[in-house]
Formats: sequence, structure tokens, C-alpha cells
Amino acid sequence: MNSSTTLDPAPKKAPKAKRRRSFSKRDRLTLGIFIGIPTFLHVALVWFPAAATIYLSFTYWTGIHIGDIQWAGLANYENIFFNTPIFWDALRVNVVWLIWFGAIATPLGILLAYQIDREIRGSKFYQAAYYLPVVLSLAVIGVIWNFLLRPDGLVNGLLGLEISEAVSFFGDDRYNIWVILTMASWRHIGYIMLLYLAGLKAVDASLREASSIDGATEWQSFRKVVFPTMKPVNIIVIVITIIESLRAFDLIYIIYGSSGGLPILGVLVFQNIAGEGASMKGAAYAVILFMLSIVPIITYLRAQFKEDVK
Amino acid sequence: MLNKITGHEVDRRLLLKGAAAGGLGIAGATMLAGCAPAASGPMSFGARTVDESPTKQLEALVAAYTAKSGNEVTYNATESNAFQNNLSQYLQGTPDDCFQWMAGYRMQFFADQGLLEDVSDVWDDIGSQYSESYKIASTGLDGKQYFVPQSWYPWGLHFRKSMMEEIGLAATDVYNWDDMLGALKELKGQGLIGLAAADKGGWEAQGTFDILNARINGYQFHVDLLGGREKWTDDRVKEVFRHWEMLLPYQNTNVLDLEWDGAMQLLLQKQSGFFMMGSWFGGNFLEQSQEDYDDLMIIPFPEINADHGRDTVDAPLDGFCVAANGGNSGVGKDFIKFAGDMEGVQAMLDTDVPMTSANNGQDKSSYDAFQEAQQAVMDEAKYITQFLDRDTRPDFAGPIVGPAFQSWFKDPSSTNDILESLQSQWDALAPL
Repeated sequence: MNSSTTLDPAPKKAPKAKRRRSFSKRDRLTLGIFIGIPTFLHVALVWFPAAATIYLSFTYWTGIHIGDIQWAGLANYENIFFNTPIFWDALRVNVVWLIWFGAIATPLGILLAYQIDREIRGSKFYQAAYYLPVVLSLAVIGVIWNFLLRPDGLVNGLLGLEISEAVSFFGDDRYNIWVILTMASWRHIGYIMLLYLAGLKAVDASLREASSIDGATEWQSFRKVVFPTMKPVNIIVIVITIIESLRAFDLIYIIYGSSGGLPILGVLVFQNIAGEGASMKGAAYAVILFMLSIVPIITYLRAQFKEDVK
Repeated sequence: MLNKITGHEVDRRLLLKGAAAGGLGIAGATMLAGCAPAASGPMSFGARTVDESPTKQLEALVAAYTAKSGNEVTYNATESNAFQNNLSQYLQGTPDDCFQWMAGYRMQFFADQGLLEDVSDVWDDIGSQYSESYKIASTGLDGKQYFVPQSWYPWGLHFRKSMMEEIGLAATDVYNWDDMLGALKELKGQGLIGLAAADKGGWEAQGTFDILNARINGYQFHVDLLGGREKWTDDRVKEVFRHWEMLLPYQNTNVLDLEWDGAMQLLLQKQSGFFMMGSWFGGNFLEQSQEDYDDLMIIPFPEINADHGRDTVDAPLDGFCVAANGGNSGVGKDFIKFAGDMEGVQAMLDTDVPMTSANNGQDKSSYDAFQEAQQAVMDEAKYITQFLDRDTRPDFAGPIVGPAFQSWFKDPSSTNDILESLQSQWDALAPL
């Protein structure tokens, strides 16, 4: 924090401007390197590819010779919105995912954190048990659950079902999305729980005590006292929930490959950009996914920060 | 990935390509980086498989080449899907000198982009050992050869002889559509699955579409449809799906939950009478046991329209290419020549892994019964197609046809909507 205030170039804030003394050459060099290298890497590895993707989404290109890039205008987007039914299927899955995470998985994680924070008996055990899946990547989770639920997997084996009669956990539209969401939540709940638990530990116990002396019920004291004090954590939790739901990829890719068994935007990006079928439709999918993730997050954060300024 | 970049131009290309895939933080883009390790010997060979039987075969080929030429060969194996997804990055970076690939459109595309080495002079030397149709399949759009075939396999109806005997079904007599429906009905009556089917991978069902279309509408229409010269909304295509729908009651119901190997299990475990697939899976039966392999048999898909009989078969051709950006394409060409020459073919055959070589020199009298049946399926056909995903544009086959067939399985009554959508997606493809 300190270094950023010293660097603040805004001269309007008179008292701070005084602190903007001259740096020694050595300081400048050090700062230059410390800031310059990460900035360069950031621009080269994040901003340049992002800008290139946005540009390429307006072109036709097979991804091989730079000279072959042809301007396509909005054709890729038009194609996706008006000609590609799987886009809408994928969008639906992503939206269901987001709603499920927002309405069920995240609140459940918060609830667990709250319970564990009250240090009920065996809370350390629960904490470890719920957190355990978080150390696994979604890809590993996909492998584990695939092993359990595929037609010749453990669950169908225990049910004594032959491959042909097996419960179609991944193939049947009636339940595949819920199976996938359960798998994803298994990890997400633990993640949110841990974040929230850390936040709860930082809430001053006397606040809660005071509210209970004032006669607030458990729910009231959570709703009116604890929750608002946790605002920074809440923001992180909401942003994480949105990002995790929209960027979903690995779990689906492990189970379905890029075949589109359960279409999701992340896989559509990959399917249209990788391999021989490469076209810049994939770049357009990536831009759509980017906009979907960034717009709600920026809107939300701006609203939050405005409130803070007030 | 960065350490694979050699020249400045490649650098920019790779970055742009990588940017498009990974720029917005799609985790899977890291898969693009899963290239095979760089060459360390005088030449390197890239295998498109990690399966037991083909690996044994290829390693024997490599060993025989090293023994003959004294050139050390580094053997790099990549799982087939990952290899396919990564191919254009691989070929633009520092690829293996010689690698395994497929004939037809999929080879022509990369040849056209200048990523494959012209091997016409190899064909001058060994061309006499191959039939003309294989040469055509190995030829790029510019008339030069870029590919040397290794082996072929036909798509057809597979069954287990012992199982059909037990039921008392003369499977080899199944000649036309009515015979087939009769046999399926019989199997169903016995409480069995008539036809094992899978489409979780998105490609498996394409083989059934190919053959139904060729049987009902003929080779020319099929090729024209995949080439975009006929429309998917044509009534003739609807007829294909009308026939396909007749097969559904005899299939396992979890088509979208099974990949090809799941459906193969149904045949292996004698739960299903027939299995429509490429004969290459015979190797998997052999891995189970010699007995299972000997029990396996294939017949051509039955006749539907007498005008076309059984004159077409999907018989994909696998083989080798030399990468233009390889470190030692001279040795790569020497290797591909050896692989295509009878001497190299013999090294692969000596492993006793069943292979139907594309080389005329393979002693067909040593074919086992299953290989003879494969040959018979080929001999009956007048026209050979590769496979849907090798005969049409890759940006159409994978991302569009795959999911369309999957959604058809979910709701077969939506044929018309799906075909209309297929046509409009074809029309919206990027110009080539």
C-alpha cells in the first residue's frame, strides 16, 4: 500500500504530493524493473492475446498463415447467433450453472462456514472433509466421477446393471446437467466455505455478542451484523461464483471430450479453435464468453465501489 | 510451448493462434501445448496412438529401419485425439520428421498449407506396390503425393460367429434391408440388443450415416452432399434418417452415454448381435484373447436400394506423412519409403498384430478368416469412401455434424429441423 501511495502521481492531493520527493537513480531503476517486467509480461501474455482474439473474431482464418487472414466483419457472430443451435444450448447450460452456483452451491458453502465457525463438535473434521475436494482440480474430479458413474463404472456395477441397461448419468438430458452440477458443487462448496470461514474468523466476536444482548435472533444477527461486516469477502465470493460458472471447461471436457454431449461455452471455444476444424468462430465464442463474464463483474464492482465512496 | 518456437514468423503465428484459444483464460488451451518432445536423434517419428497393438507394430517398423539404415529414430507417441487437436500447432513448430496421419481431405488440407513434404519421388520408387486408388488418396490438390499408406480397414456389420450359431441365425446370409430387420427382430425376441451403437464421441454414428446414405442414394450423391454440391434438406437425406429411425428400436438406449469401446463391449460380452464399426477394433478383441478374435466376423452393410447394391464402403486409409518443418526431412523421406516398401510392411506384419496392409505385396494367403472377410467386403465394393470426418470440411464434421447427430438421437422426430440447421450451418461456413 505504501509504495503505491508514494507513487501516486496525482498532484491535486497537496499533502501527498509533498511526499513525491525525487528518487535516487538506483530507486528508479529498481522500481522500473519491478514494475516494468510484470507490466511487460502482463501486456504480452494477457492484453495482447486478448486484443488479438477480439480482432481475430472478426476474421476468417484457419490459424496457419498470417497472410490468409481475411476480414469477415460480423459474419462469425451472425453465424453463432442465428445459425448455430448448439450455442443457445450451451448458453442455457452456462446460465443454469450460474443460477445453481448462485442460488444453491454458494449459499450452502456460506452456511457450512457459518456452522463450522460456531465450533460445533467435530468442526475440524467437517472442515477438512468439505475442503478436501478443493485440493483436486476439476479435471481430476471429472476423472473420479467418470469412473464412478460411467456405464461400466462402480455405481452401475453395484446396482448390478449391464452396460446396456446402465443408468445413463452422462448421456440422458434429464439428469446429466444435474450430475455435472453436483460434481462441480462438490468442489465449489468447499472453496466458498473456506473463503467465508476466513472472513468469519476476522469478524469481531463482540459485534455478535452485542447483537445478541440487544435481543437479535441468530438469523437477524447474521443478516444485519455479520453479513454486512463481511462485505469484502462477499464481493470476492460473488465474483468467484460468476467466474467459476462461466469458465467451466475441464470437467465437461474430461467427461465428454469436445464432442458436445453437454455443450458449454468453454468447450465450444476449444472445439472451434483446436485441431483441424479451426475457424475464428472459436475466437468469437471466446469474445462472447469474455463479455458475459466481464460485464456483470464490472457492473457489480463499480456499484460496490461507488457505495464505498459514499 | 515457447521452447518449441524456432523462427520469428512461427513465433507470431503461434502467439496469435495461442491467443485466440487461450487469450481469455480458457483453461483447456493449455492442452494445445501438449506437443511431443523435440527430436533428439538423427530423426524422430510421431505415432498417433498409445494403444498396445499398434504401438508394437510401429516400434517393430522403427527398429527394422534402424537396423537397416543405421539411423537412430526417436519414437514419440501421442494419444490420438490429443494428436489430432494439436496437429496444426505441431506442424508449425518443430514436428517429428515423419508422423502417422490419414489420407484424403485431412492430408490435403495440411499439404495445401505447405506443412507437408512432397514425397512424389518416394512414390516413383515404391508406387508400383500400390493400387491406383491408393495413389489418388495420397495425392494433394496440386497433383503431388504427400502420403504413404500403411493400412486400411472397412466399416461393416460385425458379429460373433459362436453367438449367431447359438441363436441359429445365418448372419452371413443377411443381404438386404429386410434380412437385416428380420435378424434384428429375431435378436430382440431373444432379449438381446440387435445393433450395438455409440455416439458419445460424436463420430461413431457418422459411419452409420455414411453407409445408409451410400446404400439409399448412391456413392455420387453421398460424395456430392459432403462436398456441399447437394443440400442436406434434400428429401433423399430425409429418407436416410427414416431408415435410421427403423434401427433405433433394436439399438441399446444409452447411445449417447457410450463411446465406441462401450459399444464394442456389448459385442464382446455377447449382449448385442451386430456392431457397425471399422474393423480396426479387431486388435482390441485380440488383446482380450485369441478365441475372441477368431470368433469375430464382418459382412457388408445390407443392400437397401437395388440400384446401388452394396457398391460403396467406408474404408479409411491410415499411413504416414513427412513434415515440412521437421529437423531432418531427408531421413524422414527415407523412413517413409522404407515404411511403404514391402520390407517395412513385413516388419510390421511379423509382429503378428493383425493388419490389412495397403501394399499389394502382403501375402493374402496368410490372411486369417476375419481378414479374408474384410477383403471380401472391400472386393464387393466399387466405390471407396474415407469416412464422413475425412470426406468433408473439418470445421463442419467435428463441431457441426457431430452435435447434430447427437441431438437427433435425443429426438428423432426433429429430423427436418436438424437437416435445415445443418444446411444453414454449411452455408454459413467461412469461405475457403
